[in-house]
Amino acid sequence: MTIKNTKTRQNAGEGVGFDRIRRITGYLVGTVDRFNNAKRAEEKDRVKHEV
Amino acid sequence: MEHIVQEPDRRMIQKRSGTLVPFDPMKILNAIHQASTAVGDDMTPEDYTYLTQKVCAAIAGTEVPTVEQIQDKVEEMLIRYGFATTAKAYILYRAEHTKMRESESYLMDVYHRLTYSDSESENIKRENANIDGDTAMGTMLKYGSEGSKFFIVNHVLPKEIAAAHANGDIHIHDMDFYMLTETCCQIDLIKLFKDGFSTGHGYVREPQSIQTYAALACIAIQANQNEMHGGQSLPNFDYAMAGGVIKTYNKEYFRALKAYAQAALGYEWEQAEALEKVIRAGIADPLRLEREEDFYKKLSGLNLPGIEPGQIRRMHDFSVKQARRYTKKQTRQAMQALIHNLNTMHSRAGAQVPFSSINYGTDTSPEGRLVTSMLLASTMDGLGGGETPIFPVQIFKVKEGINYDPGDPNYDLFSQAISTSAKRLFPNFSFIDAPFNLQYYKEGDPNTEVAYMGCRTRVLGNRYDPSRECTFGRGNLSFTSINLPRLGIEAHQDLEAFYRSLDDTMDLVIRQLLHRFKIQSAKKVRNYPFLMAQGIWIDSEKLDMEDTIGEVLKHGTLSVGFIGLAETLKALTGYHHGESEEAQALGLEIISHMRKKLDAESEKTGLNFTLLATPAEGLSGRFVRLDKARYGEIEGITDREYYTNSFHIPVYYPIRSFRKIQLEAPYHALTNAGHISYVELDGDTCQNLPAFEKIIRYMKEQGIGYGSINHPVDRDPVCGYTGIIGDVCPRCGRREGESVPIEKLNELRKKFPDVPRYDCTR
Repeated sequence: MTIKNTKTRQNAGEGVGFDRIRRITGYLVGTVDRFNNAKRAEEKDRVKHEV
Repeated sequence: MEHIVQEPDRRMIQKRSGTLVPFDPMKILNAIHQASTAVGDDMTPEDYTYLTQKVCAAIAGTEVPTVEQIQDKVEEMLIRYGFATTAKAYILYRAEHTKMRESESYLMDVYHRLTYSDSESENIKRENANIDGDTAMGTMLKYGSEGSKFFIVNHVLPKEIAAAHANGDIHIHDMDFYMLTETCCQIDLIKLFKDGFSTGHGYVREPQSIQTYAALACIAIQANQNEMHGGQSLPNFDYAMAGGVIKTYNKEYFRALKAYAQAALGYEWEQAEALEKVIRAGIADPLRLEREEDFYKKLSGLNLPGIEPGQIRRMHDFSVKQARRYTKKQTRQAMQALIHNLNTMHSRAGAQVPFSSINYGTDTSPEGRLVTSMLLASTMDGLGGGETPIFPVQIFKVKEGINYDPGDPNYDLFSQAISTSAKRLFPNFSFIDAPFNLQYYKEGDPNTEVAYMGCRTRVLGNRYDPSRECTFGRGNLSFTSINLPRLGIEAHQDLEAFYRSLDDTMDLVIRQLLHRFKIQSAKKVRNYPFLMAQGIWIDSEKLDMEDTIGEVLKHGTLSVGFIGLAETLKALTGYHHGESEEAQALGLEIISHMRKKLDAESEKTGLNFTLLATPAEGLSGRFVRLDKARYGEIEGITDREYYTNSFHIPVYYPIRSFRKIQLEAPYHALTNAGHISYVELDGDTCQNLPAFEKIIRYMKEQGIGYGSINHPVDRDPVCGYTGIIGDVCPRCGRREGESVPIEKLNELRKKFPDVPRYDCTR
């Protein structure tokens, strides 16, 4: 059960998202939030390659 | 000409802004006069007066005429009274001014958006993912950048080039820096550190320990970054840092030796100091890791009064043991600090960390190997909170006989690089054995090893000076990309038409690159207090502060890039190169054609024109947006929000990794300005290192120049878990945005020490 009482700091993480690190054009970006619209769309479309 | 209006007209006229100003017929006369002079029309002063009077008469009945109305009348009168040439000039002049006014309001509109919107809603603030467009300096950077671009387009570029950029035939990268600097440089720290250097803001002595080496490596990257608009790279990181390890090792050795002398031999501190001096004076070569016996031999040959041979042996062994331990520890800390610094110093225009790359993996000396190993270990550890480091871009140089096969001296480091990359996405892998890299390679000369920087750029060949086919001190001067899919669409499956327009567009880009090069060439050494005045750029050490840099810049590359080969092939053949052999054959033909043309241009000019598989971050959406507006949504071509990167197989197309590598490898050989190929793997790659290595090896065997493997790296900042996270964090069980009881986190910390600590009382 989650105790919803953030004032006394018995919980941590309210409103905090996950970081999703992706390679953009050779370099890494700590979060997809900073991608421009085109790169966001591209990232979403990426399919995995089987070995 | 005062007589033109006898009765002073006290009317007001309305300007475009809406404000009222007194009517002044002289302004009409001057405008006609200027237009006629501009085209050399045969008008007399009487003509000017006559026409002005006609215009005044024509608007006489209007209470408050507007500027537009008056200008309409001027046009009308010029045409009516037979001054066609002047009329044409006048119309053009009006159109030009309208354009300028509109574009000025365009710039103000951009400034409004930058000021009043946040980056979540404004794409313009996310053009470059490593700038936080919501911060003060991030926004200031954008003001400068947008203002500069406006200036360049409207006041610097030749009209045809400005038009080609604006309408999306081509894209001039980093145009905001058009008047200022070059793209990137491979910095040789060994040369820089020797005898110390100045950053332009202070003099630094030659570093004396691995920590200082690593700290100054960051300073050098930072200083150069503020003088160039692209990435900064260290091509020989392990070789360069090895010197620092040697210095630290010797320091630590003598520190231990002095401690030994005091504790075991009963020396006073001063005597111990004197002993160090005697030894240092007697042995010229420094103590080296794994060659301690060489040093011992010389040590035991010295005349050290009052110490028996047995004592010398014990003293030496003790000191070596201590020094090794501390050297390793300090190297580890130095590498940790380097990674932290390069991820945290927002020193590029205050809004960005420097765009840093480091290449390593081929130095087989024990000191160089220690550097590589400790760097990889620190990368594996992550940043302070366990986060995956975003910078520097790390590139492991793969070379047969050095690190590729079991039994090679650095094979253990290759393995370590693979396990690190499987967890942290870095290092990427570059392949010296790819024929187009190997042709320049000279064993034992790191300057001939290929090094990549930033997104993918490389230099090696040198048409300007074939005796200097090397990496250090060189880089790209500027690059401009061609909208290949548009040429494909416009060709309507007519290949001849396609090649014709491709040649025309390339010619235009070459003219543009030369236009920019001329501006760059006129700059002086003093414009680059670090890059040029400290001799970072090749041959710049031969120049004086007031010299222009044009000649030394010729070692750099002028690159033509491209985007969307896949969409181009789709337009020309109906298939992209992942789908059909014919499309692949045509793809190679097109890219070979581009390369040949640039080689010919290099021959003609003696400059390094090279072909780039453009990284295209901001560009990936720009061309397709323009083309969608122009041609509508065409299936497989303009129906997505992005054009496919350079020669890549489209990201949405299902294909096996080996096949993708096979198809993309031949393009690496053609794109001599730079390239990269990716494979996307699913699942936790750490659990399948053999597969990871198999793919990297296949890249090497197929002749890929530079490649890496993408896999999901997610992290929950609340509990510190790094790995794959679907909707629920596998460690703490929360969903995005949910909170976790601190008690539970404390419990988890017993099992996972990397769980962050929370202060309950705050």
